[in-house]
Amino acid sequence: MKQSALMNFNITWLPLTGLIIFTVCFCAYAFYTYKKSNKDYYNKAALIPLDDSLKNSESSL
Amino acid sequence: MSANVHPLGRKLETFSYDDKIVRYFVIATVIWGAVAMLLGITIAFQMAEYRLNLGLPWTTFGRLRPLHTNAAIFAFCGNAIFAGIYYSTQRLLKARLYNDFLSKVHFWGWQLIIVLAAITLPLGLTSGKEYAELEWPIDILITVIWVAFAVNFFGTIIKRRERHIYVAIWFYIATIVTVAVLHIVNSLAIPVSITKSYSMYSGVQDALVQWWYGHNAVAFFLTTPFLGLMYYFIPKAANRPVYSYRLSIIHFWSLVFIYIWAGPHHLLYSTLPEWAQTLGMAFSVALWMPSWGGMINGLMTLRGVWHKVRTEPTLRFMATALTFYGMSTFEGPLLSIKSVNAIAHFTDWIPGHVHSGTIGWNYMITAGILYYLVSKLWNAEIYSKKIANIQFWAATIGLVLYIISMWVAGITQSLMWRAIDETGKLVYPNFIETVVRIVPMYWVRAIGGTLVFLSFLLMAYNLYKTAKNGKGVTDETFEAYALDESSVEKDASQHRKLEGMPTLFAVLSLIAILIGSAIEIVPSILSHQYIEKMDEVRPYSSLELIGRDVYVREGCYLCHSQTVRPMAHEVLRYGKASEAAEFVYDHPFQWGSKRTGPDLARVGGKYSNLWHYRHFAKPQEVTAGSIMPRYSWLFENKIDFNSIPKKMSVMKMLGVPYSKEEIDSGIKDAKLQAQEITEDLSKTGSISPEMQNKEVIALIAYIQRIGIDYGSIEEPLEEDE
Repeated sequence: MKQSALMNFNITWLPLTGLIIFTVCFCAYAFYTYKKSNKDYYNKAALIPLDDSLKNSESSL
Repeated sequence: MSANVHPLGRKLETFSYDDKIVRYFVIATVIWGAVAMLLGITIAFQMAEYRLNLGLPWTTFGRLRPLHTNAAIFAFCGNAIFAGIYYSTQRLLKARLYNDFLSKVHFWGWQLIIVLAAITLPLGLTSGKEYAELEWPIDILITVIWVAFAVNFFGTIIKRRERHIYVAIWFYIATIVTVAVLHIVNSLAIPVSITKSYSMYSGVQDALVQWWYGHNAVAFFLTTPFLGLMYYFIPKAANRPVYSYRLSIIHFWSLVFIYIWAGPHHLLYSTLPEWAQTLGMAFSVALWMPSWGGMINGLMTLRGVWHKVRTEPTLRFMATALTFYGMSTFEGPLLSIKSVNAIAHFTDWIPGHVHSGTIGWNYMITAGILYYLVSKLWNAEIYSKKIANIQFWAATIGLVLYIISMWVAGITQSLMWRAIDETGKLVYPNFIETVVRIVPMYWVRAIGGTLVFLSFLLMAYNLYKTAKNGKGVTDETFEAYALDESSVEKDASQHRKLEGMPTLFAVLSLIAILIGSAIEIVPSILSHQYIEKMDEVRPYSSLELIGRDVYVREGCYLCHSQTVRPMAHEVLRYGKASEAAEFVYDHPFQWGSKRTGPDLARVGGKYSNLWHYRHFAKPQEVTAGSIMPRYSWLFENKIDFNSIPKKMSVMKMLGVPYSKEEIDSGIKDAKLQAQEITEDLSKTGSISPEMQNKEVIALIAYIQRIGIDYGSIEEPLEEDE
């Protein structure tokens, strides 16, 4: 009996709201990310770790 | 710092990185990693052979197990994260760390926390919440040091010379923000003394908060920071950009948003609302997608350089780490499906799953990062690729032995627990039968763990020799243009703008995790609405309260659960399924997550006082084949009666309905109850009256009370029928 009372605990609007927010956000960032005009920008961003900008090196020991 | 004016008007600045602090964290990672793994194999052997508990309080499983988990997560992985984050952040942002002093405060403060944990946990000073056992003064210190880390990190972002914030940094931001929220919310407690506190939450509420924390500690301490490191170190080691930067963006937002929802999968078939359980399961399954998106992105980055994976230790460990990451993030959602969870939960399958992640993913990727960092930071070639190769195979074989033995043990346990014959009776009514059957698997696990530990020692030696043979620590200088208005894209899309706004980015990350958190936590906040209080469920007596503290101190919850799931075999074995109202006075809850021994939710009154007395002294004399340690010190330690009024007052502050009279007479009542128990023991055994002052009596009082109140209620006839 108590188990069934728990099952009917009525705040299902809460996860539904969360799911809607997630779906909207997911569509929005997927749209922005995969826009053709952004391709070059992200390809450049992917190169950031490979750019060390090393000028010189001095041994301290 | 010197500055030149660029023809386009931007300043070209010369600067250096703070690699000294990275070296410190690297050394700390290796030292604490060895300690964590040594503790791991110690408790693994203790489970195979109880005599290895040595009969001492501070070497017993219940106290060493929290030390192992804390050392592995916060000492080993923590230092590895900080080393990797500080190294990569400086380079990705082209800026020295914000403040050298803060870096030192961060490093030494974190080591102090670890040392305090290493002292307090074996002494039994614990809050009794898994992966968050440290007591309140250390919790405050963790908060302070984490803030120092956050200020240093965000300060570095502010003074950066790279407009775009690379995806690895996003993962670091999410880690810093989320861990802060998790730690503060879960650690809320009222102190009783400098070494003791009671959780603000109780029962179902505490369980929800704890597993929201516990699950997301895995997510945001063992996953997101390492994914960030993966997005930096794999491209660096492979010398090629990440396979799909755009996929990494999808990976980040999906993972951060979804992960936080999945905590309730630790509480399936408990007294948590049904919809919350289903929601946790659904999001756990959904989590498979972003997890594998990240794994595929990492592995595909290696396309074209797979030949290097065979020869370069850094890439080999990272590729293996990603493979295990894929395996464990497939197994995790699988285990979250309710029907699978019904089989796997409380069994050894779960530690097997956990270690496929922590050893397969965290250790392996840390090994790859350490090989990369030591060769760079000490300006040296890796001392021996052969040793690295042996390390790799020892770790891999050890891990496979670990996982397979725990799969076998877990499934064996579960099938034996569930076996019901044609007459409706349990086939294995004695729990010990299921323990004895899996002890050989504990030996296999311990051997596998030993191989992993030896592999770590090989790495430590290899790294030491590498550093020693290095050409010297170099003080490199770098140059990059300062950021100014000309570096801002005027017509950039919203997300591209966002990628250059760290504060807003951090706020949005926070909102993403808060949405899931709110949905998980709301049932807890509203718990008084759905938990029907029962008059029969009364607060613990003063002696039982003291006994409960002993139970928490000895880490009994690490081997014994206190919740009966609504399943036929559990009801047959233990008694009535648990209800939320039973736990309203439990600060903290003690449901546990593993059944090395039987569930104790209905143990009160099941055995005599003498049975328990003898069981704590020598479990094997009462239950042949038991692997439970002996608790001889409970027969020597005196009950701290004087702490009773303060403890009851704190409980009252937390909502436990103790009257002033009950608190005032707490000491007297406790002594009276202890005397009654001791007299009962004297009737049936040769127990000295002096024993009434010993902790074992308080523990017996508590054990005999568990489940009594609700268990005594007659089952009403089904109203629907």
